[in-house]
Amino acid sequence: MRQRTTFFHRNEDAIDPASLQVSGRTLSGPSIKAVREDRFTLGLDELPAELQELLRLSQELYIRWASPVPYQAIGPWSSRLSPGLHVFYTPQADAKANVASDHELCLLLRRLGSVECSSPHKSFSRLPNDRFSHSTALEYYQPVYDLSNFVEYVVQYACAPSDAECKTRFDAVKQASSLDFSYDTISHVVKVTSLWGRQHQPLSISAPASHRVEVGLLTPNEPPHLEQHEIGVTGLLTVLGEDSKPAPTMFTFPSRHKQANTGFSSTFLTPTGLHPTMQLHIDSNQPPMEEDSYCALHALLTLPRTIFADKYQLDDPLFLASKNLTALRYISQPVDLEAPDYVMDIWGSSVLLELSTPVTESKEGFTAEIPLHLRYQSPQHGGESTFEVPYPAVFWACAAEEGTKFPSSPFDRINLGYDGLFGPRTLFWHLDPVAKSGSDQLVVGGKVPVLDLDKSRSINTVTSIVVVVGFAWVVYRLLMVYLRTGYGVAQPVKAAEKKQQ
Amino acid sequence: MASLLSTVFSSPSLVFTAAFLLRAYTDIDYLVFTDAARFTFSSPSSSPSPSSSRFSGLLPQGSPYDRETYRYTPLLAYLLWPTTPAAAAWLPGPRVLWASWGKVLFAAADLAAGWLLVAVLRRHRGLSGPRALQYVGAIWLLNPMVATISTRGSSEGLLGALVAALLWAVLERRVVLAGFLLGLGVHFKIYPFIYAPAIVWWMDAERMGRRSQRNSSSSSSNSLLAKLQRFVTPERVVLALVSLATFAALNAAMYALYGHDFLQHTFLHHVTRIDHRHNFSPYNVLLYLASAAAQQLPAPTGGAGGFKIESVAFVPQLLLSVVLIPLVGAKKDLAATMLAQTFAFVTFNKVCTSQYFLWYMVFLPLYLPNSSLNRRPRLGLAALALWVAAQAAWLQQGYELEFLGRSTFAPGLWWASLAFFLVNCWILGLIISDLGITSSTVSISSTKPKRKT
Repeated sequence: MRQRTTFFHRNEDAIDPASLQVSGRTLSGPSIKAVREDRFTLGLDELPAELQELLRLSQELYIRWASPVPYQAIGPWSSRLSPGLHVFYTPQADAKANVASDHELCLLLRRLGSVECSSPHKSFSRLPNDRFSHSTALEYYQPVYDLSNFVEYVVQYACAPSDAECKTRFDAVKQASSLDFSYDTISHVVKVTSLWGRQHQPLSISAPASHRVEVGLLTPNEPPHLEQHEIGVTGLLTVLGEDSKPAPTMFTFPSRHKQANTGFSSTFLTPTGLHPTMQLHIDSNQPPMEEDSYCALHALLTLPRTIFADKYQLDDPLFLASKNLTALRYISQPVDLEAPDYVMDIWGSSVLLELSTPVTESKEGFTAEIPLHLRYQSPQHGGESTFEVPYPAVFWACAAEEGTKFPSSPFDRINLGYDGLFGPRTLFWHLDPVAKSGSDQLVVGGKVPVLDLDKSRSINTVTSIVVVVGFAWVVYRLLMVYLRTGYGVAQPVKAAEKKQQ
Repeated sequence: MASLLSTVFSSPSLVFTAAFLLRAYTDIDYLVFTDAARFTFSSPSSSPSPSSSRFSGLLPQGSPYDRETYRYTPLLAYLLWPTTPAAAAWLPGPRVLWASWGKVLFAAADLAAGWLLVAVLRRHRGLSGPRALQYVGAIWLLNPMVATISTRGSSEGLLGALVAALLWAVLERRVVLAGFLLGLGVHFKIYPFIYAPAIVWWMDAERMGRRSQRNSSSSSSNSLLAKLQRFVTPERVVLALVSLATFAALNAAMYALYGHDFLQHTFLHHVTRIDHRHNFSPYNVLLYLASAAAQQLPAPTGGAGGFKIESVAFVPQLLLSVVLIPLVGAKKDLAATMLAQTFAFVTFNKVCTSQYFLWYMVFLPLYLPNSSLNRRPRLGLAALALWVAAQAAWLQQGYELEFLGRSTFAPGLWWASLAFFLVNCWILGLIISDLGITSSTVSISSTKPKRKT
């Protein structure tokens, strides 16, 4: 096992290098306002047996969790995902492994929270593999907003019952802003990455004797020839147990993901009814790259199956233009447009929309509206159910210069659900999600009217009676006609009857 | 005029506005049909074959079932060929006009149905031309519901024309044509199969001008075999064979072209669907409750072990529309019987939307003039008022649900749908009672018209 811990702080939050103390296998210093990333690189044999078993049946497995609590991202970790648990997965090609992993993966996911996954075959959506090769075959999402279950699972496996310090260390993961698990058969190692957003972090890292720990204390740096797709950093690196004092460092690396330094928020227009409209407020209409490179603003919606977008409705350019949308670029398949929520196995759908930005000289905020539709949900007591939709990921996708390459960098993050939908030369400039006032969560939702179970006790009986009564009435009228005239040609009306009318 | 038109259509903003307004005045189903037509007449991009490229826009190379929720025969998509981009190369004028081709077609079908109804009234009810036109005009052609449904692009108008043509062909004793129309109608929309027993029952030997033959062969015998022999007339055999052959041939052709997709979406879908989205059917809320209960055991309400009316919903529906009404009514008044059958079928169906009302409305001009609803205006107005009021109540509840998000399923929508059902049953009872009261004109339909040929 190897561990890499990186603190990334703004220039103004720097601490005096002299205040850092390296003694033995421990680094300590004053607390620092920074983003912290812990990356653990593990061999397969260091994992729980059930996980080893699953990975043997997998070609690629990326599990990504993002917190619903807003956080400030700086440095190389600017890529964003909708809050919740995302799974990107490619099973081994041979069919036997497929069947076995069907069972294993959902079993594992269920340990991470209230996951409804029954099997990848039924619950996962298929990602397109025709456009660009670098995406997994299957996708899954579940609105898991809390890592407690996961942390308990890990503590059970990793910590001895008496080891309180170990527990505390993992407890910190509950406050993490994001957590990534990455595995692919080519590298044959597992990388687990947890990230805490910019906040005051205690600076005290100890390395157990069993594994190598590298600690970095980095801050942005802009050397003269820094390209737009690159990030420059400078700072101090320490390998615990090897170095007696931090070593200065300075380097640049290409990064697919950058920060647009502007924000957005998401809300539903009221009343939501059964056809809620998601409104995105974008703080700025100005693209992040001023030069003549092509940029377009996109929103990737992750929609749990309660709610869906109708791709045919989003096909009409006039309609889209009236909502500040340019086009529907991608929608996961299949999306049943009619089925009620409670008969479906698939997790939901993801939708990539290109937004149309009003062109103005100066920076200007604007809104885009995305028409969505709710499925019928199971009847409930009280006649009301709820739906929740995580904030979308909103980013400018810009074409990097001809010939730009993004070799894997130490901070690279791929397979985020949307990167595979764009060409390899695409730069993503991410907008910061801002929670709406009155909420501390990046989740929006509302109420769904459902059949009220309290008022539906007599539905079966009364409907049956009414149908039988109606039927009996019609049969009675038929019988009267039959008794009077038989089934043959009607007899001429008697004069008396005619007079009555 | 030509220059004015060219000015109008060369102005982008005007075309834009026109397109926008047209879009707003368009039924969602029309978008499904035209999308399906577009898919049907677009070549699969993977294998462009140069030899067929010149005529590629004319051949249905794709499948209409690539459009989700297309649940109709491919024939409908074929009919909408002029709306597709593939047709643009072959048709003059701006595409925005051809995009409305389907609406023109459906409205024309309404007119054709009206023309056929006038013909039936004149030739089989003894009405004068102007008088017949007056009835058909007032009840069908100028009916705002009919006009709106067709011009917004719902295909039910085609069915109206087909069914009116079927009735006309039967009354004219054009048995082969009737068989063909029956087979085509059932292929198009399944429900016209209910007319088969009525037509067959009506088409007895006497009516078809074979009285003498019958008398000579087995007039005295009343054994079952003899009755059966009398029942199986050449006309009935021809009707059965032609309609079955038409139905089978169309299905075989469509199955050969589109395989399981065709079967699934055109026919099987109607068997397996869960009709949970709110509609006028009395079963609607019950089906929603039952379909959710089926997913979670034990069932939330006590209905688990009890009697489930929704699972036998087809029994009252088919008993009335296929057996009892034709049996009692067909020989008395075929048109009114077909009206009652359709009314029963729609009323007792597990799904019911306002488009289905067109299915029976096409028969109204043939029934209303001599009906008790017309002879007793207060009764007629009461029936109309109740029919409209129950729908209005339902629509109001539906609006609260759909757009304001209030849970009006129970009791609001449910009661409204039951009230509408009972109103419909009452009206159906009136229509059926009228079958037993022969007015002076009805008997004309039982005499064979003089054939012009």
